Amino acid sequence: MPASLRSRSFVIMALLPALLIFILFAIVPIFWSAYYGFFDWKGLGAAKFVGINNYRLMLEDPIFWRALKNNLILVASAIVGQVPIALLLSLLLLKNTMFNRLMRSAVFLPMVLSTVVVGLIWGYIYHPQIGLLNQLLETLGLESWSRPWLSDPKINMLAVSIPINWANIGPYLIIFIAALQNISSEIDDAAKIDGAVGWRKLFSVTLPMIWGTVVVTIVLCISGSLKAFDHVIVMTGGGPAQSTELLATYMYNNTFTVYRYGYGSAVSTMIIIISAMLIGLNYILTKRRG
Amino acid sequence: MQTTVNVRSEKTNVSLWRKPISGIIKIVLLLYATITLYPLYWLIISAFKSNQEFFNRPYAWPQHWQIDNIIRAWDLGNMGRALLNSTIVTIAALALTIVLGMLAAYVLSRFPFRFSGVVKGMFLLGMLIPIHSTLVPLFIFMNKIGMLNTYWSLILPYTAFELPIAVFLGLAYLTSIPREVEEAAMIDGNGWWGIFGRIIFPLSLPIVATITILAFLRFWNDFSFALVFINSQALKTLPLSLSLFSDGFGTDYSLTMGAMFIAVIPTIVIYLIFQEQIMKGMVAGSVKG
Repeated sequence: MPASLRSRSFVIMALLPALLIFILFAIVPIFWSAYYGFFDWKGLGAAKFVGINNYRLMLEDPIFWRALKNNLILVASAIVGQVPIALLLSLLLLKNTMFNRLMRSAVFLPMVLSTVVVGLIWGYIYHPQIGLLNQLLETLGLESWSRPWLSDPKINMLAVSIPINWANIGPYLIIFIAALQNISSEIDDAAKIDGAVGWRKLFSVTLPMIWGTVVVTIVLCISGSLKAFDHVIVMTGGGPAQSTELLATYMYNNTFTVYRYGYGSAVSTMIIIISAMLIGLNYILTKRRG
Repeated sequence: MQTTVNVRSEKTNVSLWRKPISGIIKIVLLLYATITLYPLYWLIISAFKSNQEFFNRPYAWPQHWQIDNIIRAWDLGNMGRALLNSTIVTIAALALTIVLGMLAAYVLSRFPFRFSGVVKGMFLLGMLIPIHSTLVPLFIFMNKIGMLNTYWSLILPYTAFELPIAVFLGLAYLTSIPREVEEAAMIDGNGWWGIFGRIIFPLSLPIVATITILAFLRFWNDFSFALVFINSQALKTLPLSLSLFSDGFGTDYSLTMGAMFIAVIPTIVIYLIFQEQIMKGMVAGSVKG
């Protein structure tokens, strides 16, 4: 009996600190933001209960929809940019040679840089006067192509998406290489015997074998895009005229630049709801596949 | 006889084609890697140029390597202070994440109790929470208890959001360690704490290393928590200082480059040493998260 008591006290004492920090700083905030989302509150003075008014205002605000659309642009650019590039690179860098290892390291490197550094460097690359990109176009005699990349509302979301893609190709590359190396050599041999080589092998053997991984990476692109915040805050702050606003920056700007704490909480809750819906969708899709 | 000859001729045919193709592929790959690394290369050469050179010869190798920018960034921008703050916050959060995470993983791997499923489920949920959605409520909460503008306002949220990954990596690792090792120690009269400290933790060092590297990169590079929770000049971390740097010294570009150089060097050095672990660990973390 005393031994079991002792192990019970160990379980409690060893688990409690981790659980407390985790619940207090990661789980409880979700409920708070749901709660504050029903109030009109400037951060000072009394909070006024307004029911679902914040959500109504949000759904009526064209900037909210633009932010959502910009998030979707990031998803689309990741799916047509990161995934195919990473897949192509993984096919070329599959073998564990010295050269290929170096290439993989190079492609992965931007991933470990601070998002602030990535945002600042690309801010300079896109700079209208001193930017590398416009200067390069000038050198090539393509002055007419040069433009203020981050302030022209027609292209600035695309311009913003490129550094994000640049920084995030690495993990997808490693995921694809792992998946390709998992294809057993027996299947490889069988394909060879059946005469499937080159393109034919790629499309009728290799790609179908790793299709599950492709689906996983697409899901990662979607959830990754909801996390986008730092690059945009550093490069554009959501501007000009809120043209590059994302859901997270929309929440941040409403809360910390115009001090609508209640409204910001409602947007936070909306982000959680949208993520939960995506996770649910992902669950259904993967379950059907399995 | 005939078939072998055929195979041979086919082989030479293929390899004849393969050489130039693989050469072209290698060149394309090298080009791609160059484009990928160029922004970083440009950052490093620009950090050692004067402003005038930065404007006039943006692509060129520096004429005179001067460390003036880096020294000025260190003094003017309080980069030394920021480096110290980042170090304090990162080390404290790392210690908490590792000790508490491994303890939790140990309990969950060895002691079947009624709520262990619930606890595991909750940590799993933690990996799915979009971090930015907690900024506003955490800000309000910390404001109430007076935690804003302290090291704790970063250490505790960092730990909270890294614990799920630490617990699951630790749990997966500990289930592979046989229990006989502990039973022997039990006979020697060690309590559970002694077994954890003397046997389990030392045995788990490989996974602790992975957790450490991943957590280091996340804590060291974090921007959003620092942006919202830290206001005081004396407590700013490196990424936060950098973001304000570019506002404060607007046109002094090479100075900002110098400051960025100070910030990226530690991460690049760590990446070069631990790249294999970083690549594998980050993929494990991102697939679960």
